Amino acid sequence: MQVSRRAFLKYCFGSAAVLGFDNSFLGTLDKALAAGGGPNILWLSAAGCSGCTVSLANLASATAPTDVADLLVNTIDLAFHPTLMGAAGDLAVATLRQASSGAYVLAVEGGIPTAFGGRTCTLWTEGGREFTALEAVRALAPGAAAVLAIGTCASYGGIPGGAPNPTGIRSVSAAAGRATINIPGCPAHPDWIVWTVAQLLAGVAPKLDASGRPAKLFGSTVHDRCPRRDHDWALGYGEDGACLRGLGCKGTATRADCPTRLWNSGTNWCVGANALCLGCTDPAFPDRFSPFYGSAGVLPGDHETTTKQCIACHDGTPDD
Amino acid sequence: MATVTIMDPVTRIEGHLKVELTIDRKGAAYQVTNARCTGTLFRGFETILKGRDAWDAPILTARICGVCPVSHSLAAVKALDAATGRKPPANGRLIRNLVLGANYLQSHILHFYLLAALDYAAGPGTAPWAPAWDLDLRPGGEAIVTNLAQAVEARRLAHQMGSIFGGRMPLPHTFVSGGATAVPTAERVAQFRDNLNWLTDFIRSIYIPDVELLARLYPDYLAIGKGSANLLSYGVFDLSDTSTKTLLARGVVAAAAPGNVKAFVADSITESVRSSWYADSTDNLKPSVGATVPQYPKTGAYSWLKAPRYGGLPHETGALARMWVTGDYRRGVSVMDRHLARAREALKVALAMGQWLDQLAEGQPVHNPQAARTDGNGLGLTEAPRGALGHWVQVKSGKIAFYQVVTPTCWNASPRDGKGVPGPMEQALIGTPVADPQRPIEALRVIHSFDPCLSCAVHVMMPGRAPTVVHRPG
Repeated sequence: MQVSRRAFLKYCFGSAAVLGFDNSFLGTLDKALAAGGGPNILWLSAAGCSGCTVSLANLASATAPTDVADLLVNTIDLAFHPTLMGAAGDLAVATLRQASSGAYVLAVEGGIPTAFGGRTCTLWTEGGREFTALEAVRALAPGAAAVLAIGTCASYGGIPGGAPNPTGIRSVSAAAGRATINIPGCPAHPDWIVWTVAQLLAGVAPKLDASGRPAKLFGSTVHDRCPRRDHDWALGYGEDGACLRGLGCKGTATRADCPTRLWNSGTNWCVGANALCLGCTDPAFPDRFSPFYGSAGVLPGDHETTTKQCIACHDGTPDD
Repeated sequence: MATVTIMDPVTRIEGHLKVELTIDRKGAAYQVTNARCTGTLFRGFETILKGRDAWDAPILTARICGVCPVSHSLAAVKALDAATGRKPPANGRLIRNLVLGANYLQSHILHFYLLAALDYAAGPGTAPWAPAWDLDLRPGGEAIVTNLAQAVEARRLAHQMGSIFGGRMPLPHTFVSGGATAVPTAERVAQFRDNLNWLTDFIRSIYIPDVELLARLYPDYLAIGKGSANLLSYGVFDLSDTSTKTLLARGVVAAAAPGNVKAFVADSITESVRSSWYADSTDNLKPSVGATVPQYPKTGAYSWLKAPRYGGLPHETGALARMWVTGDYRRGVSVMDRHLARAREALKVALAMGQWLDQLAEGQPVHNPQAARTDGNGLGLTEAPRGALGHWVQVKSGKIAFYQVVTPTCWNASPRDGKGVPGPMEQALIGTPVADPQRPIEALRVIHSFDPCLSCAVHVMMPGRAPTVVHRPG
């Protein structure tokens, strides 16, 4: 595989601030790419909705790779991805088998169902037999250089794993019996995915938090960086600039950098459009926060809910 | 001797689809003589929703599909609006239209350039586009692939535009029962309009010409993949606060009388389970009283999709159906007609979005909190980019007592019904000429023309099912 080293380095240097790279990482990346080559990426779509793939396609950067086409053509070898790949049927399966015979990173989108022997999600037919997502991750995870769980479903089960979890969804790590790098989000932000892939291409194992997420990306809560922290609470829907705590915002309990990174090329974010933070990067999403338009998962049972401003009781510093 | 070719995975669709094709010799060539379509993922959304707070529905159902989440969210809030007697103000209706419209543009462009066009022209010579079946790639098609990079940018921009009033795309949640949460300001409207102008230009000067080029290079596909040719549209993009008029109209067209659009009656929908792994006691129920009682094994069944029927007949749904019912496209029903109608619909929607931007009133509310009641039954009908979408809800004590979703791909990829009549995609596949039974690119082209979204078609492969025949070349 040929990685376009110059283009990828240009991307990393150009996006360093946004992606949170420091000089020592860039030096390591430079050396690793100079050594040549890189692994195939095999992407499985399990019990999910393809939202993370669609989100990845929203990648944008001022420097190379400028978007997902640039990423796919010039930076990584995405050898298998059922939504995007040219091959179908037997040729797709043969491509997967060939790519997994060498070095590869396994990326999985969607949770892994285990009810009915895993047969509520089959990914391909091979030798006349259907292969379940469960079999696929168990077969492919052990030999992978790394296993990425893309999105909350793959990382923790997500919405298909919501009570009563009718198909027995488990996270990729639980199903495969191997630690994964979890890039949660419903969907995952394209920057979070690309940042993590960049780490791996450089041979760097990112530091993970207790939930298996890159600590660099999921260190602070949404509330920590929210521009509406000291604003009056919204009393209804469609109040620009109001704090959404009273409507059920989960930002105080959710770790993600959405308020500063923003979404869709820095255009907006959920709260920016007066929509609640849903807590979608959380290991217990959705059940911890359901019902969303209420205090589930955020306010202690005895928290005064008629207060219209956080600063009436809190001094406004992080973690207060 | 017939070959049974199993195509699994069908790639470049949303979701998980397996197609079983029986291919027979016909003179010097081959032809598909039988087809069975099966989705291979089941998640059980109706079960997950039951008992939850009603306002969770627009958020959770959006995750039925990451390509058309806005449509599910919209169907859910419309169902809740109907159940509780809420009426969004004009700004709320317009915000809903604009976010949905942005996703339509994203979806149609994604579908043509990243999913369907690569059946006709070789993509960039790297993974994931290579390897691919390289047969019947006619000279001239490569011009479409040269626009791939710009198409990728166009769909990204469509989502960027949508996020102005969606918060983030995909999977926005600025729709709530009673309206929306995003507020129009002059600055946001100007930003949206800027993006829209670029996109409208792209659709006019690149997307539509590319589809027309494809139709010129592959004119035989104007007569391949017809299917049932019964067409169904629930209508989409509410144009008024006081009437049910929509930009793309609601109506039904029978194959036998293609110029005659009949009024749609929701009560005429039933779901057959004859070829589906559900108890026959639940056969031919209307979705409002639908039941899902799995039964496996079951003689003659091969899919976990139920077979939705309108007036007892299979109906195709999607851009072609919408444009036909509205009167904007009536050339024919085929693989190429679906692509042409979809591209023309993208332009129609883009132009209408400009008018909706004009109609937004700064300072006016986007949400109306008044509700007539807490509980009730509601039906939300809309159209996802790939077709008719309905959410049926019963709210009791503010909770979801019942939830049923009938999706466009359930209509299109449905199995045979109680009369043994195949679904629209199955019918479209039967009769398709095939050059090489081991590489049935022609069948892939037929499938892709429907823009299938299998996450939406809720169904399951059951354990213990013996695999059917593969690759016994005759």
